[in-house]
Amino acid sequence: MARFITPGSMGAVSRLDGAPGGKRGAPALDTDTDSTREIKTHFRVCRFIMETGVKLGMRSVPVATACVLYHRFFQCVSVTVYEPYLVAMSCIYLAGKVEEQHLRTRDIINVCHRYFHSSSEPLNCDGEFWDLRDSVVQCELLVLRQLNFHVSFQHPHKYLLHYLLSVKSLVNRHAWSRTPVAETTWALLRDCYHGTMCVRHAPQHIAIATLYLALLSYGVEVPVGEREWWQVGGMSQHRSRVLFRQVHDNGPF
Amino acid sequence: MDRDLLRQTLSHHGQSLFTHLKCEQSENPDFKAIEPDLSKASYQRKYGGEDNALVEQFIARKADILFAPSWKSSALLEDVLEEEGEEPYAIMPPLEQFMEVSFEERRNLLYRDIERGDIVIGRINSIRDFGFFVTLICMGGGLERDIEDLELTALCPLRDVPSNGNHDDPLSYYQLNDLIRAGVKDIDRYHEKITISLQPSSLGPNLMNLKLGVFSRDDLPLQYSRSVRVANDNTETYERVLEGSLGYSNPSNVEYLLGKIGVSDTQPPSLMRGLQSKHFLEEDFATTIRKKQSASWALKCVRVGVDHFKSGRHVEAMNEYNKALEIDTNNVEALVARGALYANKGSLLKAITDFELALESCPTHRNAKKYLCQTLVERGGQLEEEEKLVTAEGLYRKALALDDSFQGAKEALKKIELLIQKSLKLREEAAAKEAEKAKNVETSAEKLRKILKEEKRYIHTNPSERMKRKQRRSSSSSSSSSSSSDRSSSGRRKSKKKKRKHRRSSRGKKHQQVSSRDNRSVADDEEEWYPAPPNTSASFLDQKSSVVRPFEGPERTEEGSQPPSKGRSHSYHSLSSVSDAPDNSRFEDDPFDASPQRAEGSKGKGVRGDKTSDGDVKDREGSRGQRKRQGQEDQSGPQDVPSSLEKVKHRRMSSSSAGSEHSRKSDQYTNDLPSQSHISTYRRSDSGKYGSTERGDKKEQERGTRRSDGGDYRSSTDATRNGKGSSAGGSQKKELPTNLLDLFSQIAQFEKEKCVKPKK
Repeated sequence: MARFITPGSMGAVSRLDGAPGGKRGAPALDTDTDSTREIKTHFRVCRFIMETGVKLGMRSVPVATACVLYHRFFQCVSVTVYEPYLVAMSCIYLAGKVEEQHLRTRDIINVCHRYFHSSSEPLNCDGEFWDLRDSVVQCELLVLRQLNFHVSFQHPHKYLLHYLLSVKSLVNRHAWSRTPVAETTWALLRDCYHGTMCVRHAPQHIAIATLYLALLSYGVEVPVGEREWWQVGGMSQHRSRVLFRQVHDNGPF
Repeated sequence: MDRDLLRQTLSHHGQSLFTHLKCEQSENPDFKAIEPDLSKASYQRKYGGEDNALVEQFIARKADILFAPSWKSSALLEDVLEEEGEEPYAIMPPLEQFMEVSFEERRNLLYRDIERGDIVIGRINSIRDFGFFVTLICMGGGLERDIEDLELTALCPLRDVPSNGNHDDPLSYYQLNDLIRAGVKDIDRYHEKITISLQPSSLGPNLMNLKLGVFSRDDLPLQYSRSVRVANDNTETYERVLEGSLGYSNPSNVEYLLGKIGVSDTQPPSLMRGLQSKHFLEEDFATTIRKKQSASWALKCVRVGVDHFKSGRHVEAMNEYNKALEIDTNNVEALVARGALYANKGSLLKAITDFELALESCPTHRNAKKYLCQTLVERGGQLEEEEKLVTAEGLYRKALALDDSFQGAKEALKKIELLIQKSLKLREEAAAKEAEKAKNVETSAEKLRKILKEEKRYIHTNPSERMKRKQRRSSSSSSSSSSSSDRSSSGRRKSKKKKRKHRRSSRGKKHQQVSSRDNRSVADDEEEWYPAPPNTSASFLDQKSSVVRPFEGPERTEEGSQPPSKGRSHSYHSLSSVSDAPDNSRFEDDPFDASPQRAEGSKGKGVRGDKTSDGDVKDREGSRGQRKRQGQEDQSGPQDVPSSLEKVKHRRMSSSSAGSEHSRKSDQYTNDLPSQSHISTYRRSDSGKYGSTERGDKKEQERGTRRSDGGDYRSSTDATRNGKGSSAGGSQKKELPTNLLDLFSQIAQFEKEKCVKPKK
């Protein structure tokens, strides 16, 4: 695929990005390998996506879609060729469309601009604004093509909520109401989109892993039968451990 | 930090977690506060597993978030049962079943967790005289457990069985093997006894609407039927059941479940320190930025528009303003600028709307206030010319309220106040004159003579009308004389005015309203009206004369001027008297007389009354003159009225409404047949209005020259009454007695008939 940089878009986005010491400045240490740097960049950009999602009032599932789109896109291409923040903005825009929570480009641009230049005045309706808009829209098409138009995903959120309800019924209701398992597991699930585990594992397993970690964090006693509750969901012992490690790997990042 | 929660965690993980915690949370003051408590106990790890270290590290690092008291997003949410048949999310069989939890375990857990208010479904297995026993087969709400094979038995005592209709023994309604839905009333955990009840009171508030009692197989909860299927089919895994259910495919099940669980999606929880929602500033949110941006974009358009405006390109300016308002509705600057443009063009009302809208969003906008004041004053000036003095005055006051220092408003207000006062004064004078005149008690004969005289003046008369008028006149004259004699001067005045008003009101809404409004404005200022005494002789006359006026348009008005004023005035009198009936029991007139008069009066009264002068021309002039008079709010008696009618007109003038009505009638033939009720209301209002000096004047006038005056007065009274009734006279309205209402209805009928009648 040809290098996608139109003078307008790159210029626009780097204007967005502001000073060299901006948020996506290059890491200071040279000892960082490229891959680590990349991971860190992706981490930062995903953080950017999540924050923008909150400010735009996006629900959890569209935000998750945006992150997955982003991860999948950069699995195929190099981060040096494409401006990651621009891709992120386009992913947000596309995810809103896919998950039926339509967002206006104007809002996306406003929030992103302010992310990079805090306390700045809103953009004027001038050439720069239209440039930015054009770049977002064009990049969206690029993302679509890169992903072969497979942009609809199964997310763990549904599974997680159903498992949550089922497990809730196992536990004494008063103990449950004292323990913020639901919030923790939801937070864990959202946070695990910073990394790539969300594209590497099945949604059911991710859901179970997050729930497992949340229950473990509070020491909640769940009855055991022939099978553990997480085995019911199709998780094996081994896999659960792997996943669960990855889940909280994203946490302390 | 939630101490109990921490303790629970620590007891699960053991001492090593505690060590980690101390290490990671050393700077956390909350942790430090409870550290001593926690260290008292020693913790044994309950679970063995690899990755412990990782987990503990994770917990330790995030402890300040995980155990924060504010982390728990909501209070205990009431369990809301989904409606039968709806499946917003996949309703799953109890997890116990999939996990194959052992019998003992399940039983223990059930007895531990079941509570009062839960719903159970079971089958009656024996009926005794003290109640019946039920074998539980599943839970119906509040708890989801697999209990069928536990074969628990619950007792439903007799007193908890509601009586079913005529059955003496409630138990007789139930039979073996009936499926029952009941609420758990009591649990004896130690003895493992469950007592259930069929009374609705045993349920919690969220489950109140469920029907307890006999139950059909079809209504068994979905989770139970699914669990039965699972039990019978080994290949049904949790996942398969989940993916096979309808609720799973519901696109909004995530939202629904989040709501059910109580986690917010707009302020989502996160364990990342940088993503804590509370750190996000409100002004960084999309909606806030958008608003600001829209405002600034709109402002640009406004500036361009103002440029256009200054260079005289009004069309372009308006376009720019509209564009700005599209970008940002209710943008203050754009509204003010557009308002100014409207004001310049002359669309004052639109301008006022715009300014007010602007001031709503920004009450301290200097320009908006200034322009609004100016526009209000200008509008007031316009209204003054249209003789809507009250409204104009209101506007001036409003302008002054906005800006005290606005000189133009002050002056205008003063001027209009003067005008109003003047008109009031004139009315008073006229009333005084009338009072004097009223002292001359006229005999019936005298009145009759007068009437005959006036009759001669009219050229176009309908013989039948004349006859009627004569009749009415006589009656009205007698009534008026009696009324005059009976009443005090003021009373007379009022009754007359009332009558006039009644007549006027019947004549035509518009006329009445206009004139009455003016009158009322005056009347409002003076609050000296008292009701006319009930036994006024004048009322009799009034009734008749007032009724004479038919409801015809211009032709009638001409006729009105023509026909014997006697008849008219009588009709007017009678009409007004009719209207005044409550005050003065003037219903001595027979209804028939009253009705035609009213019918006539309602339409042509005002005109005719005013036109007691010879011929239409005079009337016209008179009306014009009256118009002018009204315009000036000058209700002094003497006005430029042609010859013979001067006296009458004087009196008439005092009731400006007459003039206004008159003029209006000549102007606009709007002889709408106001509904009788409308007329009635007017009349009622008139009668109710004892505050209007006009009434007094009119009554005086009526007595003096019943005919012509009557018409005028009536019209004016009616007008005033109507107007005042509608505008200000709410308080002045009085209730009419039923006989008056009857009369009114008859008048209405008559008028309708009359409408079809002579149109000369």
